[in-house]
Formats: sequence, C-alpha cells, structure tokens
Amino acid sequence: MTETIHHIDSEPEKTTGLDSEYLSGKRFPYQEDASLLAGVDLVAGTPGADINWLEDIELLEEDGVPAVFDRYSNSFLKIYFALPAEKPVRDEIARKVLLLHLQSGNSYGLQLKPIHCKFPQPQLGSWVDGSDTVGTDWKAPVLEGWAPKAH
Amino acid sequence: MESLVGERRISYDARGLAEPNAEAPRVAEIADGRAVFDAKDLTTRLINLELRRLVYEEGVRAVTVRNPGSKHSLGVGILQRCRITFEGSLGYFGCGLIDGPEIHITGRVGWSSCENMMSGVVVVDGNGGSLTGAAMRGGDLVVRGRVGARTGIDQKGGTIIIGDSVGSNTGFMMQRGRMIICGDAGPGLGDSMYDGTIYVGGKVKSLGVDCVPGEWTDADTELIERKFRIYELGTPPSFQKFVCGKVLYNYDNLEPSERRIVL
Repeated sequence: MTETIHHIDSEPEKTTGLDSEYLSGKRFPYQEDASLLAGVDLVAGTPGADINWLEDIELLEEDGVPAVFDRYSNSFLKIYFALPAEKPVRDEIARKVLLLHLQSGNSYGLQLKPIHCKFPQPQLGSWVDGSDTVGTDWKAPVLEGWAPKAH
Repeated sequence: MESLVGERRISYDARGLAEPNAEAPRVAEIADGRAVFDAKDLTTRLINLELRRLVYEEGVRAVTVRNPGSKHSLGVGILQRCRITFEGSLGYFGCGLIDGPEIHITGRVGWSSCENMMSGVVVVDGNGGSLTGAAMRGGDLVVRGRVGARTGIDQKGGTIIIGDSVGSNTGFMMQRGRMIICGDAGPGLGDSMYDGTIYVGGKVKSLGVDCVPGEWTDADTELIERKFRIYELGTPPSFQKFVCGKVLYNYDNLEPSERRIVL
C-alpha cells in the first residue's frame, strides 16, 4: 500500500490523489518485478497491426514515482522497479505494465463493471477475448427504507 | 422516401427514433465464426442490437452488414475486439464510442464518425463529413478520401489519417494524438490546439491561433512510414509538421484567488 495518500482533512474517506493502489487496496506484483512483463505482447494485445491506442501511453510520474496512467480507472499505476534511461524503452515498459494490469482484470474501473454497467459488455473489455459479459441485468439502486413521494 | 439507384433504393427512417422494439431481430446468417446480415429493412436500433447480439452473445468475431443505407449512429459502443464490415455508407455519428473493433466502411461517413473512439481501427474507403474523429481518444482512423471542417476537434489521442484534403478548423482545440493529412488543409488549421501533432502533405490555407511549424525528427519519419505501410497508402508525400506554439498557456498568470478555485 502506498505511503503517501493525499487525504482531505475534513473528509478523511476522500483523497485528492490518483493512485490505483488506493483504489484497489493493494499493490500488484508487476509493479515491482520487471520479469513478469516478459510475456506481454503489445501488438497482440491491441487492435490492428501495431500498438494502436497504446501509442499515446508514456511513462509519467506521480508522487515522484514513475507511473503509467490507467484511463479505465482514472488513476496512476506506479512502477517500483529500476527503469532504463532511454525514453522509448521506458514508454514500452509503461505500456506493458498497463496492458498486463488491464488483462489481469485488476484495474479498479473493470472491477466496478459488474455492479454499475447498464448494458451488456465484456468485463475485461477488448484486452481479453471471451471474458464474462456483464451489465445484462442492471437495476437501478434502491435506498433501503426510502420510497418516492406520491405525485 | 425512395429513389431509384444505389443506396437511394433503400427506404428508411434515418434517425431511427420510432423503434420501440428492443429485441435483436436475429436475422444474421452465421457460419464458420462469421456473420452476415442485411440492414435494408432494419431500423438503427435493430441493427445495433443485432451487432451486439452477434459480438457479445454469439461470440462472432467477423460481422458484415449489408445495405447500412447511411443510417445514423450505426456500430456505436462496441467494446470488444472484432471485425465489422459495413458494405455501404454510414450517416451521422457512425462507430462512435468504440473500444476495440476493427471496422471497414466501403462507402462514406457522415458527421462525427468515430466520435470519442477509445481504441480500434476504422478504415473508410470514401469521404467523411465534418467533425470526423471528434474527441477521439485512441486507435487509428483512416479516411481515404476527403473530410469536412473541424476534423479531429478536441482530439485527445489516437491517429487520424486523411488520404485527401480537410476542411476549415481541422484540429481545433486538439489536445493530444496525431493527424496525418495527405492533401490540403483549409483555413484555421490547429486553431487553439493544446498539444498533439498535425502533419500536412499539401498546402495549408492558413494556420489557426497558436499553431506553429514543428521540428521534424526521426520519430516523425518512423510514424509516417509505419502508418503508410500498415494501411497501404503508397509512398508518403513530403509532409510539413505543425504543433502547438504554447503561447496560450496562461495558467501561470492566474491570480492567487483564481488559482485556489481552478486548482
């Protein structure tokens, strides 16, 4: 769990940070072990003949730590292992970490899909073929003990 | 309304608003993992329901839609890797909000095609209307013909490739991503862009506010050659590169009270 959480004093349950570890409550092995990226194929994991949407993904920084932005949970996924100096290689590592994060279903946004999806869609999006379909029986949440006023 | 030739033979309610039926029509023929259906007599809603049924429920990964008839909002919200071919043209807002599919449109597309596209590949053989690739976030959009005004408006990622010319205010408020225009560009290119890169192979009528020529690098050459090779666009012309001049980046000039509100 990350040590630096930007809490709001008056509302301690909220944070101004954008850390995926805060959202999911844990750190994942591929954030600390570069060897786990060996089998990640960026071209196979994206549509078309090249890396497609990952072309816009680059290594950024959050709280002074190298990080990649996960647009599916609006949070930064920090990378703790040593990175080379060359930007193209750093960006490629960032893309692999992010793709593995999404394919593993660990992105917090993907974990919320079974609860909040309003129409059928694959839980793991376009990154994993044959993942479960979610959103087939969405019902509006009901607040216990509350009923709408008669009009 | 019915005419006599080409797609005009098709009778349709282009806006598809009068379709209360929310059940997929189940008209597709499925064989060897591929599906084909004729959209001639289907409304927009039924076409999209059939597409989703095939991709999500039947697990089909290659769908051909015949006679799309320029109906609006076809192929939207597909969030799965698959191949979709539209044999004909699409109306407004075709293929918007997609995340993963590879789509081939053999005809033309109307306004705002691929709006908010997240990932995937869309190839249009004909021309595109205004606002092509509006607010696009990722993936490749290739229009082999011409496109209208405000192409790539508010683009936040991805690559838009135009085989011919583009209209006025192309790249307006562009924030990220790449645009490769093989032909001419209309007035106001890249107006108020924040970031991103625009390549133009032809003449530029005029540059918009804060759009300036950029320095060419090896990465630009690699990108252009790779995209031309993948989409079989032939030999790349000599491109000019345009980027944001960043003179409109005024956030540092905020008053302290304004800074507290904004930040």
